[in-house]
Parts: sequence; C-alpha cells; structure tokens
Amino acid sequence: MSAGAPGARGPMLAVALLIPIFAVNALVFFWPTFNLFKMSFIRGEATGALTDETTLANWTGLFRDSFYSELLVSSVTISLVITALTLVLSYPIALYLHRARGLRRTVLLVLVISPLLTSAVVRTYGWIAILSDGGLVNSLLKALGLPAQRLIFNTQGVVLGLAEILMPYMILALLAGFGRLDARLEEAAATLGARPRQAFWRVVLPLSLPGVMLGCLLCFVLAVSSFITPKLLGGGRVFLLATEIYDQAIVTLNWPLAATLSMVVLIVFGLALALYARAARL
Amino acid sequence: MAGATSADAAGEGFLSLRGLTKRYGGFAAVDDLSLDIGKGELVAFLGPSGCGKTTSLRMIAGLIEASAGRIAVDGRDLTHVPTYERDMGMVFQSYALFPHMSVAGNLAFGLEMRKLARAEIERRVREALALVHLEALGDRKPAQLSGGQQQRVALARALVIRPSILLLDEPLSNLDAKLRDDMRAEIRDIQTRLKATTIFVTHDQMEALTMCDRVAVMNRGRLEQLGTPEDLYERPASAFVATFVGRINRIEATAEGDVVRLGGEALRAARSAHGPVELMVRPHRIEMSAGAAAPPQAQDGPRNMLSGRVARSVFAGDLQHYEVEAAGRLLSVERSTVSHEPPLRPGEAVTLSWRVADTFMFERAS
Amino acid sequence: MDERPASPTLTILASLAFVFLLAPVVIVLPLSFSGDAFMAFPPQSWSARWYAAIFSHARLIEAFFVSLGLAATVTALSLMIALPATYALVRLRPPGAEAMFSLFTAPLLLPTIVLGLAILIVFAGLGLLGTWRGLLLAHLVVCTPYALRVLATSLANLPADVEQAAATLGARPATVFRRVTLPLMLPGVAATGALCFLVSFDETVLSLFMTGPRISTLPVEMFHHVESRADPLVAAVSVLLVGFTLLVVVLVDRSLGLGKAFLKGG
Repeated sequence: MSAGAPGARGPMLAVALLIPIFAVNALVFFWPTFNLFKMSFIRGEATGALTDETTLANWTGLFRDSFYSELLVSSVTISLVITALTLVLSYPIALYLHRARGLRRTVLLVLVISPLLTSAVVRTYGWIAILSDGGLVNSLLKALGLPAQRLIFNTQGVVLGLAEILMPYMILALLAGFGRLDARLEEAAATLGARPRQAFWRVVLPLSLPGVMLGCLLCFVLAVSSFITPKLLGGGRVFLLATEIYDQAIVTLNWPLAATLSMVVLIVFGLALALYARAARL
Repeated sequence: MAGATSADAAGEGFLSLRGLTKRYGGFAAVDDLSLDIGKGELVAFLGPSGCGKTTSLRMIAGLIEASAGRIAVDGRDLTHVPTYERDMGMVFQSYALFPHMSVAGNLAFGLEMRKLARAEIERRVREALALVHLEALGDRKPAQLSGGQQQRVALARALVIRPSILLLDEPLSNLDAKLRDDMRAEIRDIQTRLKATTIFVTHDQMEALTMCDRVAVMNRGRLEQLGTPEDLYERPASAFVATFVGRINRIEATAEGDVVRLGGEALRAARSAHGPVELMVRPHRIEMSAGAAAPPQAQDGPRNMLSGRVARSVFAGDLQHYEVEAAGRLLSVERSTVSHEPPLRPGEAVTLSWRVADTFMFERAS
Repeated sequence: MDERPASPTLTILASLAFVFLLAPVVIVLPLSFSGDAFMAFPPQSWSARWYAAIFSHARLIEAFFVSLGLAATVTALSLMIALPATYALVRLRPPGAEAMFSLFTAPLLLPTIVLGLAILIVFAGLGLLGTWRGLLLAHLVVCTPYALRVLATSLANLPADVEQAAATLGARPATVFRRVTLPLMLPGVAATGALCFLVSFDETVLSLFMTGPRISTLPVEMFHHVESRADPLVAAVSVLLVGFTLLVVVLVDRSLGLGKAFLKGG
C-alpha cells in the first residue's frame, strides 16, 4: 500500500519510474533474444555473410550432421556426470553444515560461499595447477614412484573442475532443503531402534530429496551452459554445446548455426525444468 | 466531564463519519459506519479482531481509501484529501518510530513538514518531551529506549503537531500489564489536559470502559452501539454488545410478550418479543440466598426469582464464583467476599433473584 | 538447539570434500611465489618475480583499470535504474507488478553464453562491439536484475507503517521517500552496490563477446592468458584479485554493520 494519499498517485508515476529499466532490457535483452531466435531461421553464407532468406536448414542440419547429435548427447551426458559428482561431493558438507552451530557453522559457511566470489577463471587456473603434467597430482604420483597420468585437456579434467566450480550452488540448495529436517526426527528414529545408518537412509535422505532435486536441476543447467571451465580445462579437445556456440560465433562466424545451438541449449533447459517440475510434484 | 462532551456530540459532530464503507472484493471490512465525535472527546473503537475498527481508523487517517461514504472534520470534507494534508496525529500499534532519527528528530519531523522556524521547532519539541517525561532522552535513538519510552515518543510525536484529531491504534498492546495501567492513566491525563479529540482503537474492553468518554462497539464491519461505558453495560443495544462487554449469563428460551417460561417458572424481561430469544443477566446482579425462602422484595422494582442448587463454588479472591443449577440450566453467580460469610457449598438449595430491569432480552435466529 | 557431534564417517567425508572444494583457490597462493618460468607444482624455486611481472604487463594493467571503471559505472547506473523500478514495483504496485518483476529479473535465467551471443549479434549491427558503451550495456543487463532483487527484498522488509507515520505527520510522498524510505534502505543499497560491483568486475563470458583488440577487461585478459600459456603470472594476479574482493566485502560489511546498529529494534 502506498504511504501517501490513496489514489492520489496513479499508475503514471509507476510507469515513469519503470522507463529506465524497461529501456535497458528492451535494448539489451528483449530485442537480442528475439533476434537470436529469428537468426536460427536465417540462411548464412559460407563467408559468414547473412542473407534475407529464412530457412529451416540450420535446424535440419543439426540432425543430418552426426557431429551435432553427438555433441548434444555428450554435453548432456557429461553434464549429468558432473551433476552426480557434485551431489556426492556436496552432500557430506551440507549435512555437516546443517548439524554445525555457532562460530563453526559461520566459518564453514563463509568457506562454502567464498569460492562464489572467486572468478571462475581463477578457480579453473587452480585446477590446471593441480591436474597439469607438472601439477600437484602428478608430482605426488612421481614422488610415490607411480606413472604420470594425463588429467587435463580431456573430459576427466572438465568433469573434476566443473564439479568443484558448481559445489557451492549444490551445497546451498541442499542446505535449503535440509531446513525441513528437524534433528528431533532423527532422535525419534533412534528411540524407535534405528541405528544412525538406518536413520540416515530412512529419515534424513528422503526428507532432503527436495533439496537434492533442486540442487541437481541448478547444477545440470549451469553445467550444460558453462563455457570458461570446459574451454580452459578441455584445451580445445572437449567439445560441448557452449564451447561450440562460442567457436561458431567468434571463430567461424556462423551466427545462424550459433543461434540454433543456443536455442538447443534453451530447449535442454526447458526439458530439464519440466522434468524437475514433474519430479517435484511426486 | 464525560456528560458534557457527550451532550456536545449529540449536536454537530467535530468529526463526522457518514456511511463510511470499505469493501475488498465482495467483503465489506467496514459497512456503512456513521457516527459523530465531539470536540475534546475520547472515543474508543472496540471490537474483536477483524471487526473493522482499525480499517475505520486508517480510513480516517487517509491511509486507506474509502469505498463509499464521507469523512468530515469541523465541517470540512476530508474524504479525498491525502494523508499528509489531513492534520491528524497517529500513534501506530508498532509505534512506527523513525529508527534512523533521534527522539528529538522524530518529534521535529512533523514540525519541519509544517515549515516552522528552527527556534519554534526546538521549543515545541522540548515542551512535548516534557509532556511525556522524556526530557533527558532527546538525543537517543528509538532502539535505545524501552518499550514504554518508545510508546511515549510515539505519543509525543503525534501530539507535537497539535493535530485536529489524535488517532491511537492499539497503542498499549505491546506493553506489559503493569506498564499498560500506567500508560492508560497517562494518556487519559494528557488527553484531558490538551482537550485533544481522540479515537482510541482497542480490543480490550477494560481499556475502552475505563479510559473513554464513549465507546463505539463494532462487529463484522458494523457499528453495534455507540454510547457511554454505562450505556453499554447497563443498556446493551444488541446481544453482541451484552456478551462482548462484561460477563453475562445467556439463557435460550421462547418469549411471549415480556414473559419467558422456563421449566415451569415465569421470568420477565425489560422489553417484549415473540419467538426464540436469549435472556441475559450479569452474574453479579443476581442475589442469592440459602434455602427456599423467598427474599424480601427489594425497593428497586419488580424482580425475577428462580430456585436452584449450588453445583460448583470457586474462590477467586475478591469474589466467590458459583455455578447454580436452576430451571435445568447452569447459571453463573458472583458474590463479593467482603462480608466474610462462609461460602455456600455444592448441593445447597438456594434462591436466585434479580431485577427485571437487569434482565436483557434479544431475539435469536431460530 | 545444541550442536550434535557429527559421526566420524561424516566428519571424514566432509573434510575430504572441503579439501576438494578449496584446493584450487588455496593452491594459487604458493604458486604465485614460484620462481619458475613455467607452471609446475610444487615450484622448483621461490620468488616474487611474477608479482613484478604484472606491473610490466601493460595490457593487464590497462584491463584492470577498464574493469575498475566499468564496475564503478555499472554499479552507479544499476542503482539509478533499479531504485526507481523497485519503488514502483514494491510500493506503487501497478497492475502486473509481479509479472514485470519476473520479466526484469529474467536475464539471470538465460545462460550468459546465449545472452552474450544474442547481444553480440545485435551490437555488431549497432557498432557497439569492442566499445566501452557496449561493455557497459551488456554488464547493465546482468547487474540490474541482481540490484532489483536485493533492493526489492530490502524495501519489502521495511515496515510500511514507518512511512505511513511520516505521511500522517504531513510529509508528501517524495519527502517520505527522501527522509524515511531511502535512509532506511541504505544497508540494502550498500549491499546492492557491492554485489553489482563484484558481478561486473567478475563478469567474463559476456565480456568475451564484447571485447576486442581495442578494449578488454581483466577477467578476459586472464582468460586469454590462461588459454594461451601456462605460467604463474595469473596466480599472482589471482592472489591480488582475491585480496581485492575481500577488501570490497569487508568494506561493505563494515558499512552494513553500521546500518544494522541503527536499524536494530526499530
């Protein structure tokens, strides 16, 4: 309710106050997004020049060229693997945090959030320092007399690095989900004769499922569209939707194809969201 | 003084509400409220939560737009005047002090809006602080004050602008019981001294009855009765008022004229009706004597009589509460413990009697 | 509630996961003091040579100042755009306010790789690629949604009756906003400013599409450096960057702390 006279200030003032934000969004969001959709139906020439012709060729080409169907399948598969790994790594931290109190909780929470404030470039760079041929892991292997491993510039490196990058999102989603988990429920389970392990599988895990699903949706969506980490840790050898969009847009200058791939990313988003909505209702 | 102001109000009201209505969709939060309040009068809006009393107050303040009706102060129509031009001081239930301003800053705010000279503002802020006994706390921030002190600042802030009307929205509900009693007396004292025309919204009947010249009892958006505390207590206009103000026995029965038959005994009421009714009588207006003997007829008019049997007896300090079984119902009876009489025991036969004038009768939906 | 001792299994699992989570950030610090010409961990020798190298790297320094100026401008503009919008949507509540709120925060739902491409195509036609104005607009579209969200929460949490009290005391709507609403929103405004600054300063993907040989930002320069060569230079930059982020966070926390002091109990 307005603080002044009722009805004295009509919607005109509201409209005036909303003009700047509308202008920015119109120029840099609505128009470009709509234009991108249109671009996926425009025929481009090999030189990168655009024609005025509309065509479905960009879309049908995706299905004709097995490179793109494989790209789609591998992007989704790798993102699912990353999501699963992120979940496995995040769950213990989230549960531990949920049970911690006071200063310990604050400090650990700051530690969880602080990577979010650190540039993805920096964290990916840190992974290069750990996984590269002269990196931490291979130095350890060498010190133990074991053979060196190729850990970087392949799918493995991308999966490890991205899982770590996405962990804070997963942990925060899980923590939100744990909100419903009253410690007394576990105590109740214990009084009924459940061992801690049984209490976890029968009480804690089922109650945390909504948080798990939300975290998985979030991480999957971020993994499918992530660019910096796959580009740097993949070293140009791991092909994913996001890196391909960038290459088509900047290197090959095939904007219609880049636009079509972008639409594919959005369709994958939509499907993931629909699947989540379905699962959340059950 | 209550009588004098009531008499003024009978004529042209200083504040006049006519057909004031607030609808939310199909629901009427306030329905056709009309009343007049005299200059200098303290009137309570009393009712259960959701009865429309706060909505009415906010319409008077201009914080909610009326769906229909008219609000006028001193003959001037304010219905469509914005809040900031209405010149009403309001004390909010939450106090709504400006947390980023000092106490003095809070008091000065309304005076600054009126573009008073600096010196004049300082003088009036000092006066207002003295009025609520907070002279030493002008530099404090609201968060550094106790609840009672915050309440006084809110009151002083509303009064310092010398408003045409003072609006109090459940101002005491956030205070503990002891402080509430002190503040009641203080508000009444300040209001009388300043002769501030005041509306006091409360759900607490004690507050309304003890502080106010007149009380408007509201229920489900409608005005049930506007009257002095004595009017409400002795001459309730509706079953709702009778039951909401003070304790009362309710006896369902069927009326033929002013007579009601109850288990073979005839009771009379102060008015007549036909069909299903509720008879009501206040527990402390019932006289009770041991045995079946009829008590002597009192000088103050005809009385109703019922014989019964004590079912329960509970000691409550200044009062002894009884439940008496009579004519097949349980009636509450209260006797003062001042006489040191030994209390009547459960099972004892008693005779109840009360004045016909104290017997209220209201139609009941069958 | 009392703290319940975590089981040994959980403690061990959580500790390992924490090591994994923090390792890439932590390892950067010792690496930045490497004396080697190439990246190796642990370094063969130690020195501060890479810190010195930053200052002779003109493109990095230039990019830092671009990022700094950009973040400051984006922050100021985001506040100037989002504050009126917040007031309109939260307090004036025109019809469709909720839908508009969703619409104006929608840019956050779009992956930056898609949004970046969309803006690239439009800005190419407008001649805004590789310009400061183009970068500014692209950053604005991701910062204003954050600003709108945080400011809306901040305003919605302000008790409306404090503003109503000002109105009953004779303050006009503009005065209420200036004397009461805005001062009480100050902690929210500070948090919003810090968030916009960090988001803009950190923004990489959109900037990759907008930058060119003429203008570049620090994250973009770091990205290109890591992409093309493996040396400890970026480690030194990262340490300084983390320190800088920490400084911003602490500064805001200080100002928020002050804010909380006078909001307490109000």
